[in-house]
Amino acid sequence: MSRGKINFGFDRFSGLYVWALFIIVFGALRPDQFLSMDNVHLIASQQAIAAMLGLAILMPLACGAFDLSIGANVNLAAVLVTILQVRDGVPMVPAILITVAVGALIGIINGFIIVKLHVSSFIATLGMASIITAAQTIVTNNLEPTPVLSTTWTGLTQNTIFGFQAIFLYLLVLAVILWWVLEHMPIGRYIYAVGSNTEAARLSGLRVGKYTWISLIVSGAITSLAGVAYASLSGPSLTFGQALLLPAYAAAFLGSTQLKPGRFNVWGTVIAVYVLATGVQGIQYITSVQWLNDVFNGCALILAVSFAVWRQRAKVERGTIEEDSGGDSPISHAPGLGDGKHPDGAPSVGGTAVGAIRHEPSPDAG
Amino acid sequence: MKAGDPTGSAALTVSDVSKSFAGRPVLSDVSLSVSSGEVHALVGENGCGKSTLIKVLSGYHEPDGGEVRVAGLPLSLGSAKSSYQLGCRFVHQDLGLIDESSVIDNILMNTGFPTRLGTIRTGAARRTVAEDLQRAGLSIKPDVEVGSLSPAEKTGVAVAKALRPDPDSEAKLLVLDEPTATLPEGEVTRLLEMIRTVTANGIGVIYVTHRLGEVFDVADNVTVLRNGYKVATEKVSALTRPELINLMIGHELEEISQEREAIHLTHGEPTLKVGGIAGGPIKDISFTVRAGEVVGIAGITGSGAESLLSTIFGGAPRAAGSVEVNGAQVRAERPDRAMAAGMAYMPPDRKTAGGMLELSARENLTIGSLGPFSSPFWLRQASEKREVKGWFKDLNVQPPTGAENQLGTFSGGNQQKVLFAKWLRLKPSVFLLDEPTQGVDIGAKALLHRQLLAAGEEGMAIVVSSTDMDELVALCERVIVIRDGLIVADLRREEVSLSSISRNALGTQAGGSV
Repeated sequence: MSRGKINFGFDRFSGLYVWALFIIVFGALRPDQFLSMDNVHLIASQQAIAAMLGLAILMPLACGAFDLSIGANVNLAAVLVTILQVRDGVPMVPAILITVAVGALIGIINGFIIVKLHVSSFIATLGMASIITAAQTIVTNNLEPTPVLSTTWTGLTQNTIFGFQAIFLYLLVLAVILWWVLEHMPIGRYIYAVGSNTEAARLSGLRVGKYTWISLIVSGAITSLAGVAYASLSGPSLTFGQALLLPAYAAAFLGSTQLKPGRFNVWGTVIAVYVLATGVQGIQYITSVQWLNDVFNGCALILAVSFAVWRQRAKVERGTIEEDSGGDSPISHAPGLGDGKHPDGAPSVGGTAVGAIRHEPSPDAG
Repeated sequence: MKAGDPTGSAALTVSDVSKSFAGRPVLSDVSLSVSSGEVHALVGENGCGKSTLIKVLSGYHEPDGGEVRVAGLPLSLGSAKSSYQLGCRFVHQDLGLIDESSVIDNILMNTGFPTRLGTIRTGAARRTVAEDLQRAGLSIKPDVEVGSLSPAEKTGVAVAKALRPDPDSEAKLLVLDEPTATLPEGEVTRLLEMIRTVTANGIGVIYVTHRLGEVFDVADNVTVLRNGYKVATEKVSALTRPELINLMIGHELEEISQEREAIHLTHGEPTLKVGGIAGGPIKDISFTVRAGEVVGIAGITGSGAESLLSTIFGGAPRAAGSVEVNGAQVRAERPDRAMAAGMAYMPPDRKTAGGMLELSARENLTIGSLGPFSSPFWLRQASEKREVKGWFKDLNVQPPTGAENQLGTFSGGNQQKVLFAKWLRLKPSVFLLDEPTQGVDIGAKALLHRQLLAAGEEGMAIVVSSTDMDELVALCERVIVIRDGLIVADLRREEVSLSSISRNALGTQAGGSV
């Protein structure tokens, strides 16, 4: 960035270039199917849930914490909102509110375990995921709930506006809100500060535990909203959730290489989801192989993180980052990035998978 | 027992080694030689060039000129591999051990385990480690966890690890880089015995230390460095302790700095009251700082001086005692409360505690208080940017238009300016600074000093902890010297000098004030 004035933004906008490439290539190969408005609408709504989950984990990641319970949480929410309406006769709006409250409660418990019991977020939310899955089995008796049949319910996400399903609109609204919170509200600044250097944030007078806790509650609540949307869009299922965990992380990490490289950000995440979706959709028009989605997401996650780490190392080697600051992977608010190696071989603690596992917000949470 | 005196071959010869960083010489034509079986102490104040010399030996730094020979063979300068192959071994202060692992695992970590068909041969591993321990004069069980050992035993394990026999390269020289800075008294004796065992095997030892008592206990010869020059190499037996201290401090008598003279000695009410605090190496420290006073904190590594300010502010745990700012008590370990009471604290290490290197300079500068330009729902970045721009101009931060760049991309001095502005803008009534100019170029240092003194004149109570004694002498009208967790001297005005600070910090009765 600092080297030349002429810069096509390959580093910050590489996702957009890849997106354009996908559209040109698949557009040329399958113009009738791929270049249709129907296809645009299809991709937009198909991936909205994945994008919502990508946004859900954004705040914890920015704060330096993993939330791995979102897969189980989104699943529970979809099942719960359905059962409440069908079995217990709860009207739609209260059912949604109860479900979101349960999601937030999961976030509260996650936060308690991480902040008060000093368990790493990785372990805490991984364990929580298992407990949530058990709770779901108790609620459902392991029988797939009957879907809600009312058109108000299905219309909630499936009604179209300008050709797009409402779910896509919700996604955009959610993204705008989250973007505002993270970029234009003081709390967003505090969250990035905590994720960037917990100790420096604490010594700047921030209540580190408080922000970690808040970010987990927010991710729990957004996740359950995504679950509600899923139930309305596709009907409940007992197992869809875990499959959405990895794509959410792939999107968030890939997103952190876009627009504001090195920083988890809302629009980068949204772009990442749709670049991946466009690629998958395009390939599916050419072959009909089922496993491509998984391969794509797996590769995207690994490539995204390798790319981010490589960028940072290159920066250190060029010396744009001061030598004595080089070891602490400067993408440290991307927990889990990097191999934790100091350029001169000494292991560093912060900003790595190790760092994330050791993530210990201060004991004095609010 | 002075085993080293008549020993024959030279384990190490350093001839006319020079090194400068960014045009600033840190080593100037330093020569020194260590015989096999000799313990050679290397002493000097912080910044004298000791660690640079060690890093030249280890191949980390490539010197600008000079020659290094290990057991007669020339070291290919700047190559860590060559350093190892010629037989140089290093034990650094942090020891590089894993507390959670056993002694066996720690010692065999680098060289590998004896195996049969890929399986570790536990018995053979234990035997070879037992031999290594014996060679270092240690009588501990190889199976115990390193974390359960005493500090001296840990150092011994690090020595045993460093001296592990390697068929390709025989150890000729062992460099101990301040192995005892954090050891309690009784433990030191044990370590010194181990060193004696090592030299009995014909290995030359370079012993870097702050503790002058050890020089007399263990070393045959001592080399004193000052400002990058070798001042002298002397036989320890021909030297007294005051003589050694004089060699270290030199005769450059305190030139009163112009910066000091600017201070008006009109102090107001007591602003900061520290009452009997303890925690970590700090045992019991009380003092009061008045408004407008600039107070220095001095002490060698391990004395408690390095964690005192953090403990006062709430960064490090406080086990006992009270901290009062403008009459209001501040709770332990609550930086937010300390800030609310009017305290500010600049940590020593920008990387781990001071800065958020991958956030922008602007975000770092304003994180302490977003209040002036925000409501809970809106952070007005235009007015934030305006304020940051003003600070960049006032403190001459380079590049002047770089407020949106990541803090990590700035030079050390400019990072420090940004972090300085972060605290100055909060207009604290007590400003604590830990090593405020570490790794900072001269221009930035002078600017930071001027700003500090100006803040003092406006009635801020300022406490500076620094291992750079020149800095304390230049800035402070009063210097509190810490040794072994206690205040040993509270020097005022004309008593403040390099030699009085050093004498008290090192703990000697030889002259100076007590």
